[in-house]
Amino acid sequence: MDDRVLVFDGIGQDFPSPGQRTQIRVLDGISFEAARGKFIAVIGPSGCGKSTLLQMAAGLLLPTRGTVHHHGRKVTSINTEVGFVPQQAQLLPWKTLGENVELPLVLRGVPAQERQKRVDDVLGSVGLTGFEQHFPSQLSGGMQKRGSIARTLVYRPDVILMDEPFGALDAQTRMVMQSDLQTLSMEAGATVIFVTHDITEAVLLADNVVVLSQRPSRLLANIAIDLPRPRNMFEPFKNPGFAAAYDAVWTEFRSQIQAGQIH
Amino acid sequence: MSEVASRSSIASTRAGGGLGAIGETALQWFVKLLPGLALLVFWQWASGRLIKEIYVSKPTAVVARLYELFSSGEIYPHLWITGQELVLGYVIGVAGGVFAGYSLGRSPRLARIFEPYVMAFYGIPKIALAPLFIIWFGIGIGSKVALASIMVFFLVFYNVFAGVRSVDRELVNLTLIMGANQRQLTYHVFLPAAAPFVMLGMRLAIPYSVIGVIVGEFTSSVQGLGLFIHEASSTYDPAGVFAGIVILLGFVTIANLIAGAIERRLLRWRTLSGSGPIDA
Repeated sequence: MDDRVLVFDGIGQDFPSPGQRTQIRVLDGISFEAARGKFIAVIGPSGCGKSTLLQMAAGLLLPTRGTVHHHGRKVTSINTEVGFVPQQAQLLPWKTLGENVELPLVLRGVPAQERQKRVDDVLGSVGLTGFEQHFPSQLSGGMQKRGSIARTLVYRPDVILMDEPFGALDAQTRMVMQSDLQTLSMEAGATVIFVTHDITEAVLLADNVVVLSQRPSRLLANIAIDLPRPRNMFEPFKNPGFAAAYDAVWTEFRSQIQAGQIH
Repeated sequence: MSEVASRSSIASTRAGGGLGAIGETALQWFVKLLPGLALLVFWQWASGRLIKEIYVSKPTAVVARLYELFSSGEIYPHLWITGQELVLGYVIGVAGGVFAGYSLGRSPRLARIFEPYVMAFYGIPKIALAPLFIIWFGIGIGSKVALASIMVFFLVFYNVFAGVRSVDRELVNLTLIMGANQRQLTYHVFLPAAAPFVMLGMRLAIPYSVIGVIVGEFTSSVQGLGLFIHEASSTYDPAGVFAGIVILLGFVTIANLIAGAIERRLLRWRTLSGSGPIDA
């Protein structure tokens, strides 16, 4: 059986530039793949089209060139077999936390009894037991984020796409969330594509770090991170081998920052 | 002064939700009623002293007139007709507005085609249509229902249209990835997202339905509160005019209370987040 769950093959994307007839080339010939259960971090300068890759995997956007294959099937329409965790938690404000987490199961026609059990389980594993009746506006940013992750885990997608999910959190909450995500993704055995612009976060969480260049973005490097798990998210430098791994990624990334243009 | 106030508030909290709380709400109601009472007292006093009673009547005369109207039963046929016109005009206008606003909000293609037309019709002062509607629908309730519902329609339409269009695209995409079909998307995302706008439109539309009906009845009718007010004013009977206005006020107040109750129920998630519905 093919172990490659998600394959990006020669992805290119043009967007019409506002006010002109020309197209802006955003992505150019990007190829990488994610094996079953692997955690792939994608980093690159802002505006390089990292998030665009996730949209393609979710079937929200068709690439101008190239293809995304999910389990060998070309993604051409909304891909309901993946999970998507956006930058903002994006829980539905008119539903309670419990109802929000239950929603994917309702949409998929899971029987009520099983829904209840799965919602309870997943809320327990993200540490939100007892908050079922709260509306999102009554929860803190970190709790909303946990809710957002629970809503994805609850229907057990084998690929989880995460778009800078911890970008808006404060530093402490962020470390705790990173640590919990490591545990949760190891337990769930899901393949994770994690977009970030934070090198430390990428190195700590990922099995592979894909480094993209500035626009038009090319794949600069695909670096395997062979640190033992579980890794210590709170004190990065105490992980044996962290410094070398960080250095390997930074060496690739540095050229993009020194190019100096802020996009 | 402020110390006294804070002490008394502490005392009332200590007394617990019981008597203290009841006293406080009673006080609040009294403060709310005060300006209204002052106005009534001033009206009563000024009538006949500052202004001739034939122009402004006076509260006691209005109350007497109201009592007479209800006890003799003279007002009931008018009430029945106007009530029917209001309810029908409002319901038709809201239903049409929600349906059209939702359809155009969901379909950018339809919106591009129809929005200019709706804008053009929106610009027409609907009152100018009253004579036309009387030609089309007769002097019975049909013309009033048409006028009220067209006024209600545009208000509700624009609110719902804006509400549906303001739904976050990312929220929609996420729900699609979670596995929603179009029907589920409507039920779980678009309708609840548009609900605050629908409620706002429905509230704003209440006085407009009254305007539509009354203007229609002024223009030409055989029965109704508008006709009653019109006749009272042309026979120099200000007490009668005010009595009619008080009854309309009652209509609007009851409608607002019902709308407020529905709103609090439907939008519970907003009330809890602290940005509750604005009480109009």
